[in-house]
Amino acid sequence: MKNPKAVKIVLAVAVAALAVAGGLPLHKHRRYRMPVVAGPGVTKVVKLGDFAPRLKGSKADTDVFVLEGREPGGKALFIANTHANEPAGLLACLILIENAVVEKGTLYVIPVFNASASRNTKPGDGYPLYFDIPTDWGAKRFRMGNRDASPLEQWPDPDVFIHYPDRQLLSYIDIRNTNRTWPGRANGPLMERVTFAAMELLRNHNVDAAIDFHGAETMFPVTNCIVAPEKSSKIATLASMTVKAMEGFDSHVEPSPKNFRGLSHREIGDFAETMPFLLEAPIPFLDQPTGPKTVKLLLDGKDPFLLSLAKKKKLFVPYDEDGWPMEKRVGQHLSTALEILRQFSKRNAERSIVISGAPRYADLVRDGVGKYFHDPAKADPKSIYYE
Amino acid sequence: MTASIIVILVVMVAAYTAAKASKLSVEISILASALAGGIAGAFVKTPPLGELPRHLVEGAFPYLDVILVFSTATIFMAVVNASGGVDYVVRGTIKAFGGVRPLALFVLMIIVLIPGALTGAGSVSLLVVGAPVAMALRHLGVPERRAAAILFIVAGLAAAAPPVNIWAMILCAGTAIPYVGFTYTLGIPVLVLGTFTIYALGWKKVGHVDRETALKNLPEVPPGMIWWRVLLPFLVFFGMVAAYRIWPFGTPIFGLPLQFSAAAVAALLVSPKRIAFLKLSAETMKKLLPLLATMIVVGMLQQIMTATGVRGLVSFAVISTPLVLLYILLAVIIPVSEGVLTYGAAAILGIPLIWFFDSIGLHATVAIAGLSILWPLGDGLPPTALIGRLSVMVSDYKGTYGSFLRQTWLPWIVITVAGILMVVYSAKLSFLVRWSM
Repeated sequence: MKNPKAVKIVLAVAVAALAVAGGLPLHKHRRYRMPVVAGPGVTKVVKLGDFAPRLKGSKADTDVFVLEGREPGGKALFIANTHANEPAGLLACLILIENAVVEKGTLYVIPVFNASASRNTKPGDGYPLYFDIPTDWGAKRFRMGNRDASPLEQWPDPDVFIHYPDRQLLSYIDIRNTNRTWPGRANGPLMERVTFAAMELLRNHNVDAAIDFHGAETMFPVTNCIVAPEKSSKIATLASMTVKAMEGFDSHVEPSPKNFRGLSHREIGDFAETMPFLLEAPIPFLDQPTGPKTVKLLLDGKDPFLLSLAKKKKLFVPYDEDGWPMEKRVGQHLSTALEILRQFSKRNAERSIVISGAPRYADLVRDGVGKYFHDPAKADPKSIYYE
Repeated sequence: MTASIIVILVVMVAAYTAAKASKLSVEISILASALAGGIAGAFVKTPPLGELPRHLVEGAFPYLDVILVFSTATIFMAVVNASGGVDYVVRGTIKAFGGVRPLALFVLMIIVLIPGALTGAGSVSLLVVGAPVAMALRHLGVPERRAAAILFIVAGLAAAAPPVNIWAMILCAGTAIPYVGFTYTLGIPVLVLGTFTIYALGWKKVGHVDRETALKNLPEVPPGMIWWRVLLPFLVFFGMVAAYRIWPFGTPIFGLPLQFSAAAVAALLVSPKRIAFLKLSAETMKKLLPLLATMIVVGMLQQIMTATGVRGLVSFAVISTPLVLLYILLAVIIPVSEGVLTYGAAAILGIPLIWFFDSIGLHATVAIAGLSILWPLGDGLPPTALIGRLSVMVSDYKGTYGSFLRQTWLPWIVITVAGILMVVYSAKLSFLVRWSM
């Protein structure tokens, strides 16, 4: 090497340029906020931190949209973006916020439950930073997040995560996974404070049912299903049978394992009076044997490798050339959640929760997801919230 | 789509081969492969060219924590070494157990197992106790090459040993299987295979080395070095690890980097001689740089492989393999995937494999245990060879890397057979899980 000093300077400049060019999009992604138009059913918006002071004002605090009915009744909580890389639940909850009206009872909706994870990316996994949903008024942009909270908000990780209160050993990274930190602690690590705040909401407001929206790989046995513990299994079974008979899609019931701790469908039932349900819609994007991780794959769920594996009967859901499009997944989430509330209300008349204005599976499959989002540019600025 | 992904894979392999042929380092070669893959992918917009810098920068970060652990643990052991602590421990071990060589070998094996078992990282075993154990082995008549091989295999088994096995934890997290039932399922194979390794590679004594001769040949311990000066820094480290295990809800989470840093400060404070800490740290980091660079570029490679679909293609090829062939190929697939992707391999190949095994009636927990004793073998394989390179480094073996690796053949084969049999007969071995519950 003739001039090592010059080579070092050139390399340092090249690395700095790469860091800026590559770092800026990540910086912008972290700061991007999704506008949400609160619809006619939203009566107030509070913070999750209002239910747990140690969460209040932190980067993990998040909006709780409250839809109160004209008549008193039961109460339900919908949670999405527990895993911020499973966006069908987010879209389903935002559609409810923008369109649904509660006639009886109260519905709490937390569209971005793990706010930190929604601002995080998954290094090594090459996800797109955003995805756009086409609407009549243009593309609506959403932030793609990660399964776990950002280390910028909760760090360091321990060498092993010890679940509270059962002391079960879990992977160190699960300390930032809000579907492993239930029921949480008031003064625990930040993600335990998030789940603790939700538990306080459920306990202090006598919430009858909680639904946690997720997505699962097509190769994962627990997919396309409702996960429910013993106390919720009857309602789950009835909802599953009804959507199959009336709306023509499968969402079977899986029992919540008793010895796997930290999950919403286990701990909410054990530590509150609430009936928990966890909905899994297939998300081919998260499967390992797929082509490139593109926005297209995220939205249409079409992949040649998965198609080939389906022919070899290695998937746990039906899969053909049509893939598993987003509108189908969002539609399943909405119909199943609404059916769970209907079945609950039928058996608990005095605690019933009646919702109108929310589209169901057939509407989503026919119209697409974008039809149900309102143009923030034309909405009353006071009704716009940024997530 | 499949054809374009195959072309990208070929470009990546060609770039790596060309870089190596041009005598570039492993790290630069991996970077060249990632860059070439990204540029080739840009032709079909997976990823678009404009997103390539973001993928490279983002991909540099998956192993940031591991890099911090490596750095702080190595600095800690460098301080202990500079204070004379390592010489003191080796002398003590030879004095106490040198008269009964088989017992001494067994005790050294257990000493290597403990730190890795507690933290899930074979690197921690090597960085904390690797150097003194290597020296003790040499003075017990085990030549450097075999000492390095013993350290590599036993440190790998330490990482797989309960209570913390990161491969098993990643698989459990990804397959929604509780991380329970591994105590005997992993503990028994690890102890049996560790004992086999230490005797298979260490039984034969080279030269006539008795305890007195060994003690005479050992470096002198600095005046003032006594047992508590060596023990205290380790107590600081293991005390912090143990405190979180014993009082998990009352102990702050320090993280391994801070725990090693605190131990390094303790070692510095109790050292009987003055240590030029900044100079020592700078020299240590310089030595570690190739290893750290590998961690960074492997992350980039993984990111590009995913963004281009190459990772999915590899995963698809494995899952599509007929069952009997798959069992046989586990011997190659699992270690090689670890060599290329380190822990990423558990997620990319392990999760679909476990789902598949579960669906054909195998016992998932035992199958996870079986796979997770195969993965550490890959930590000796290029391009990363993280544990292999550390083993060579701490044992001060001066021969070629290939000659070190060849020395591991016997335990390598036995571990491979054991791991595959655990997967194949997982249903019959499920009693191990019941014992562990």
